[in-house]
Amino acid sequence: MIQYLIIQLCDTSTSYCHYNNCNKVSKLISIEDLKAGIILAMKENLMIQFVYPDEELTEEYKKIINSIDHNDIVSSLCKDKELVTSADVVVLHDWTALQYFQFSKTQSYVLRTSKDDFFDRHIMLKTVLPKTKRFNVVFTDMESFGEDDYEKYRKILGFLSDEVSNAFCEGNHVQCNLLTDRLELSVMNNCDAGWKNITLAPNGEFYICPAFYIDNASSVGDVYKGINIPNPQLYRLDYAPICLHCDSYQCKRCVWLNKKTTLEVNTPSHQQCVIAHLERNASRKLMENPKVVSTLKEPSEINEIDYLDPFDRRDKWDYEAMQKELIKFHKENY
Amino acid sequence: MQILVWSPFPNLITMENIKESSKSWKNDESKTVTFIVTKDCQLVCKYCYLVGKNSKERMSFETAKKSIDYLLSSPKHSNEEAVVFEFIGGEPFLEIDLIDQICDYIKTQLYIKEHHWFNAYRFSFSTNGLNYHTNKVQQFIEKNKSHLSIGITIDGTEIKHDLNRVYKDGRGSYKDVLRNIPLWLKQFPGAGTKVTISSADIPYICESVLHLYSLGIEEVNINCVYEDVWKEGDDSIFENQLIKLADQIIEKELYKKYTCSFFSMKIGKPVSVLLENHNFCGAGKMFSIDAAGNFYPCTRFAQYSLRNKKALIIGNMNDGIDENKLRPFLTLDRFTQCKRECLECEVAGGCGWCSGENYDSAETDTIFERSMANCLMHKARVRANNYYWNKLYRKLELENESQSTIAVPNTLNNKC
Repeated sequence: MIQYLIIQLCDTSTSYCHYNNCNKVSKLISIEDLKAGIILAMKENLMIQFVYPDEELTEEYKKIINSIDHNDIVSSLCKDKELVTSADVVVLHDWTALQYFQFSKTQSYVLRTSKDDFFDRHIMLKTVLPKTKRFNVVFTDMESFGEDDYEKYRKILGFLSDEVSNAFCEGNHVQCNLLTDRLELSVMNNCDAGWKNITLAPNGEFYICPAFYIDNASSVGDVYKGINIPNPQLYRLDYAPICLHCDSYQCKRCVWLNKKTTLEVNTPSHQQCVIAHLERNASRKLMENPKVVSTLKEPSEINEIDYLDPFDRRDKWDYEAMQKELIKFHKENY
Repeated sequence: MQILVWSPFPNLITMENIKESSKSWKNDESKTVTFIVTKDCQLVCKYCYLVGKNSKERMSFETAKKSIDYLLSSPKHSNEEAVVFEFIGGEPFLEIDLIDQICDYIKTQLYIKEHHWFNAYRFSFSTNGLNYHTNKVQQFIEKNKSHLSIGITIDGTEIKHDLNRVYKDGRGSYKDVLRNIPLWLKQFPGAGTKVTISSADIPYICESVLHLYSLGIEEVNINCVYEDVWKEGDDSIFENQLIKLADQIIEKELYKKYTCSFFSMKIGKPVSVLLENHNFCGAGKMFSIDAAGNFYPCTRFAQYSLRNKKALIIGNMNDGIDENKLRPFLTLDRFTQCKRECLECEVAGGCGWCSGENYDSAETDTIFERSMANCLMHKARVRANNYYWNKLYRKLELENESQSTIAVPNTLNNKC
């Protein structure tokens, strides 16, 4: 069931996820479509997230946007500095921003980074994490991870895990998607584009997520006729065979990356699975610190496992256990 | 609910008298590698799913060689116990020189590399039979006979065959195929033929299967096309044809020597998602190679097989197989692709599907949406199948009872 509406205000709206938005020509959503999107959200009880371009919007747009409770997602480079200061989520597109940006404990941040930059500069996160409410790292080239990269990533997560552990010991409960999300999850908590959220693009049409719009994929309805997703079940967890046998609950399970790499929205790539499992295992290591566990309301159980990709052990999948997981999942979600 | 009472007196029925279909080579545990050597064919069969046939796309030996080199040097894709190298078209025997060259190369490489497939390989052909008698084809057969399986497609009676299997000028091909059947059966005794049923063929099913038996073909593998070609009422005509066929097979006791794949004890039962959740076909476990050196999970995903969708390419001879693109095929299960109606269907057993056709007819570009075009035809088949087995069992039961009656005094005499 759709719960969130993401409104991409402009063709040049910042990317806050895996996809790159290379559009240079500004094309704002029309006032009529924006109003219609907001009304639809009100009628359907959808929480709106506005995604902003770097150019400042006119007062007319701002007034309409402020007519409804919402979240703002904005780039650190946005010219509307007041918006950058007040936004719920600020997106950083390069590591140099970490040196000069004035972080706030009231804001969440997304750092979009290439794999190589992350490997080279991850040490900078040590000082940044404690300054933020929440810090998400998103890879812009996840599909390029190779076998050699996994070991590097594992070591870096181990380093960051120690840093987060130290921060917890000092009473600073930092949040970083790579390490802390899994600590309290007992069911999948993924992006869920096309299932729990949908995107309204500047052309007045709906897309599974902004990445599908940027990629010129087919729309799934428009703001006047409503949302009409073909094969909607394929965006749900219960129609994702690999994910049903997985407990890397923090995984983004990005349906756009799935489509790009495996040609199916419900099937993750090997890279997606291994990265999510390395993060899961790093979370497990983090839980070895009693001080971390003592801060958690409902600490999750993270068992030791001997694989990094559930696909590799598909011959051993336990369908009865899967059904139990599904029942648990349905109780949590419906 | 299953209405068939299978065995009220199970011990009285003698199954030995019922011929079973031959098992596939290595029980389907082998890898199938398909070379689409040409997209050309002498025929333009009306039901053919190959919508993009042409005479331009012919495989070169270099393409075949490069693909074989990749396959044999890739342990991950050649770890099955055995392999079937399949050659299809169009009509494969149009490219017999190329095929001969490819097969020689395969044999040589298996030997040189001391590959575990050496002596665990087969060359397989599905042909329209028109060139079967030619010297080149016969020489090839002689050369590779111990590693060969060849199926000639003959669709039944002349009327039924020529209804669909016609030359480009519209002439039927029945007589030209027929003349090669005796030679084929002599070289491959017990070989089966493949019969395809589309809407227009339904009234000819019974006479066609009987005709094929009369030609000496003992195994008739017959199936309805997976495309949505059916007209209202086709299922009733289909059911009536199968019941007529069942009566004939039982009355003439043809079940002792011949098989028809429409009748099977394994179909028509509910299917458990927990116990039988696998996909119906082997797409992704096998792979196909076309003239451009592109790899497909099955021939049905090559562009010439698709009406509505773009080809689904999983790799090529230069870069190898993209493992990520194989993942959906290797995890595709029954639950994920079926609608609730199919999952809860009480006669689902044996209701097959083709992943390629599913992909082509799906609302989105996915293999996870099962086509239901054959639903009514399957249900009609199940009804006729139930009729067949109930009638056959009762016949055998009565025969056994009468034999037992005769046997009793002897037994008693012995005891005395």
